[in-house]
Amino acid sequence: MNNFENLTRRELLKVSGLTIAGITFLASCGAQSGVTGTANIASAGTVPPTTALGEVVISDTVLLRTAASLEYNAIDTYTKVLDGGLLTGEYASLNDAIKRFRDDHVDHAAAINALVVDIGGKAHECANTRVNNLYVDPALKLITADGNADAARDVVTLAHALENLATQTYQGIVALLTKPQLRGDAMRVGQDEARHAVVLAQVLNPGYLAIGPTTDEATGKAKVASVPSAFGGLASIQISLGAPNSEGAKTSLSLETPSLNGLVYDEISC
Amino acid sequence: MSRDKGSIMTTTISSAAPPTAPPKMPTSADAQLLSFAQSAELSVHDLYNIAINSGLLSADEKLMMQMFSDHHKEYAQSLNGLLGKDATNTRNESLYLTYASQLTSAQAMSRVLQSLENILVATHTDILSSLEGLDGVTLVASIITVEARHAAVFGTLPNANLSSALNNTASSLAPNASPATTTSETTVAP
Repeated sequence: MNNFENLTRRELLKVSGLTIAGITFLASCGAQSGVTGTANIASAGTVPPTTALGEVVISDTVLLRTAASLEYNAIDTYTKVLDGGLLTGEYASLNDAIKRFRDDHVDHAAAINALVVDIGGKAHECANTRVNNLYVDPALKLITADGNADAARDVVTLAHALENLATQTYQGIVALLTKPQLRGDAMRVGQDEARHAVVLAQVLNPGYLAIGPTTDEATGKAKVASVPSAFGGLASIQISLGAPNSEGAKTSLSLETPSLNGLVYDEISC
Repeated sequence: MSRDKGSIMTTTISSAAPPTAPPKMPTSADAQLLSFAQSAELSVHDLYNIAINSGLLSADEKLMMQMFSDHHKEYAQSLNGLLGKDATNTRNESLYLTYASQLTSAQAMSRVLQSLENILVATHTDILSSLEGLDGVTLVASIITVEARHAAVFGTLPNANLSSALNNTASSLAPNASPATTTSETTVAP
């Protein structure tokens, strides 16, 4: 029985419209003649060419040069903080501590580079570009942007994150270094960065009750802790910086220790 | 930071590992060092317990020291797990007795326990310089950073003292350690 005879003109247009839409949908899902199938998700536009990581050797010199580069990230950041007068108000009293931290990082860089030279490598005396591009520069841009009422506190937040990043970097490379003596040398510096982090953590979240891990009841987020865990962790470091958006949320950054594309290989120079 | 001109880039990643890869588990030499580390951890754990049970600490101080004491117990337990049958699970009696008698006031407890944290950092760092097995290396490194944090906390509370928080002139107690020249700490033989 053909029911189409009973359709009104309006119903017929509806049915034909749905049919056309269905065919179009199915056609877009199906393979097209002349088009090579791909496992990739469909995307619009031109895919930019990628640069493959070269033939690289992760040697003791590479690991230590990477550590040295992070020292320069800290040195440069602290210099910008001091020269820019970014620590204001109640945080202005921290300037002396920041100067001490910077001096410590200068000493650390010299000590690590001396090790690099001792084992036949070339000293690396500038900051890690990838760490700057991904973390430090965006963070400083957020901190110094107009409308950020918490700029001074955000500076301390960034400094705390960088000290933790340096601590994690040293802890992380220890098991990769091939010479046992270098492991001890690396941790002599790494433990110093952890101490810096504690001083800054006590500024951000002071008192005895802030030593261990605690949670902000309002946001559910972990508060800054002087001793976040029983063992030194290597997880990414989450920070929120800058002027809050319309919903009251600051911009979040996630810092991670340098990986294969952030190591300072022997052929990299400043 | 830029790559030098002329460097040839391919997609191979290789490691400059020595001809023989380092062992994962502790060697027999490692076991001796890690056993010493464990005995030191147990001593410091027990010294914290003297302070905690002294009745001389404020509630906040007691809470902090309980946390640190628990950490040292965890370190001893982790070292026990790594050492297996080689673990002695006994404290270093010499270390314990040297410092137990010095815990006479809340102020002295903070000072002595901070010194002990600094000693442990120096000791473990020295031990790390000799370990071959990577499991021991990874564990000891993760302990060092937190014990440095413990020591720094004593330098920030109750009053912030930057030098106290950051400086560590303590000697290592590790059996293979050569004596440091800039310390007044008591060296305790294993």
